[in-house]
Amino acid sequence: MAHIPDGFLSVPVMAGSATASVAALALAVRRTRRHLEEREAPVLGAATAFVFAAQMLNFPLGAGTSAHLLGGVLVGVILGPWAGMLVMFAVLLVQALLFQDGGIGALGANTLNMAVFGVGGGVLVYRWLLALLGVGLRRRVAAGAAAAFASTMLVGIAAAVELALSGTVPIGPALVAVGGGHVLMGVGEGVITGAILQMVLRGRPELVSGVPEPSRSGRVLAWGFAVAAVVLAVVAGYGASSRPDTLERAIDRLGIARLETSYLTAPFSDYSAPVGGAWLAALVGLVVVFVVAWVVSRLFLRRSPPP
Amino acid sequence: MSFRHLDQYATVPSPMTRTLPTARVLAVVVVAVGTATLPLGAWRHLAVLAAIVVGLVAAAKLPARAVVTRLAGPFVFILLASAALLVLVPGEPLWHMGPVGISKAGVERFGFVLGRASVALTAAVILVSTTSFPELLHALRQLRLPAVVITALGLGYRLLYLLVDEIERLQRAARSRNAAGGAARRRHVLVGIGASAMARAFARGERTHSAMLARGFAGDLPSLTPRHWDLRSSLLLVALSGAVAAVTVAAHLEF
Repeated sequence: MAHIPDGFLSVPVMAGSATASVAALALAVRRTRRHLEEREAPVLGAATAFVFAAQMLNFPLGAGTSAHLLGGVLVGVILGPWAGMLVMFAVLLVQALLFQDGGIGALGANTLNMAVFGVGGGVLVYRWLLALLGVGLRRRVAAGAAAAFASTMLVGIAAAVELALSGTVPIGPALVAVGGGHVLMGVGEGVITGAILQMVLRGRPELVSGVPEPSRSGRVLAWGFAVAAVVLAVVAGYGASSRPDTLERAIDRLGIARLETSYLTAPFSDYSAPVGGAWLAALVGLVVVFVVAWVVSRLFLRRSPPP
Repeated sequence: MSFRHLDQYATVPSPMTRTLPTARVLAVVVVAVGTATLPLGAWRHLAVLAAIVVGLVAAAKLPARAVVTRLAGPFVFILLASAALLVLVPGEPLWHMGPVGISKAGVERFGFVLGRASVALTAAVILVSTTSFPELLHALRQLRLPAVVITALGLGYRLLYLLVDEIERLQRAARSRNAAGGAARRRHVLVGIGASAMARAFARGERTHSAMLARGFAGDLPSLTPRHWDLRSSLLLVALSGAVAAVTVAAHLEF
């Protein structure tokens, strides 16, 4: 369920995702103006038409299955994440308004999933992989393919979490059905993105936005993050104590636990996912914390005066 | 390729086409949010919202056959998405086969979500049937969508026809060279077509931009038929919003 229709999401989820999308798109507009300047109109228009048209091509994957390109990472790698987000938003808008592919009320959630997480998260993974591996042609293609897979999984997980937060379906079955379905889609997306990226890099490399060779410190940082994240994810699950913390003990002793009210169903309450247990909860938490930290650090970096 | 049939009722004189396109877009959002707000099981209230939407279909002078035809495609997708709820929602089992079962709560949620989605979908079909793409662009501009997105949408929509035609030509040429034999070969050809389409789209976009600059383009696509807010459109939108809000509040008060 890449495009969520109307009627599946609750109003708080629709409003929350729309607010987050508006904030992300406002930032994207500012950043795009700075990077593309007056070339923005034809480039974004052409990319919008391309993504829309490319979604009509069905690629055979074998065993009687086929997939079509979503295009988030491809357009993000070519234009950069901010312009890529705007292009994906334009595509989603046309799909919702003209073809009823995705609800108009659910446009905020679909934009958050496919434009912000799909393009932004995908390009983040792409750049992180390039910082780990280097920026040769084959590495860029491999990083693009892996990022496209990760991006599709992000879209699936985000949609499942939104459906669960809306109370439409419990988080466990949602993750299995929606997230699981996106594994196959992700494989197709990765293969197609990598193949098209390879052809474009060979034939028209000037179309793809450049990625500087990572510095030694940047590469060490990327590897350090990778190792630390994996170690933390593995150790934290076992090291976490199930005993109540100070505040929870105080609530128990005062006998006011009955006053507890939940305004939103937390998908991973008590750091445990219904499927995958603490492992999946740790993995999702890791990705979310990384994305938030990256966005915040970028904002602060931009505000700090040049030395 | 042509999407012209989508807005074929945009020129039919009706109370709907006389209403400002911006008000029409907002009306669809109001209906979509209103249906989403209904609590599970509020069938009577959903029926009232459905009646309001049917009234809008009549006001737009849309033939029932055209509406049903346009609903069919997206409805199949919504039906498939809703059907998953039958087995995903836990509860008192009605029927099961092995590990897969259908619960009573699943059936209730399936029916209600399908109903809500259908009402919102019908409202969207009214919008797209009665509003041309330039009118939609103008509405989005009035709703303060960033100019860069409006321009991308406008140019993208115009390039889309050309690009899809080009992709179809490339596919026809590949087929005529017998390039479709075997999945691996076909995949390779399709990747080539995709990459080629991308390069051509960008080249065409840059040529179009040069031509636009020569004609005085200053960063914003002007509307040939700009319309401004009028009292009639405002009153209709307020009345619709009030009716939808009353229905949803009544549903929550179990009135």
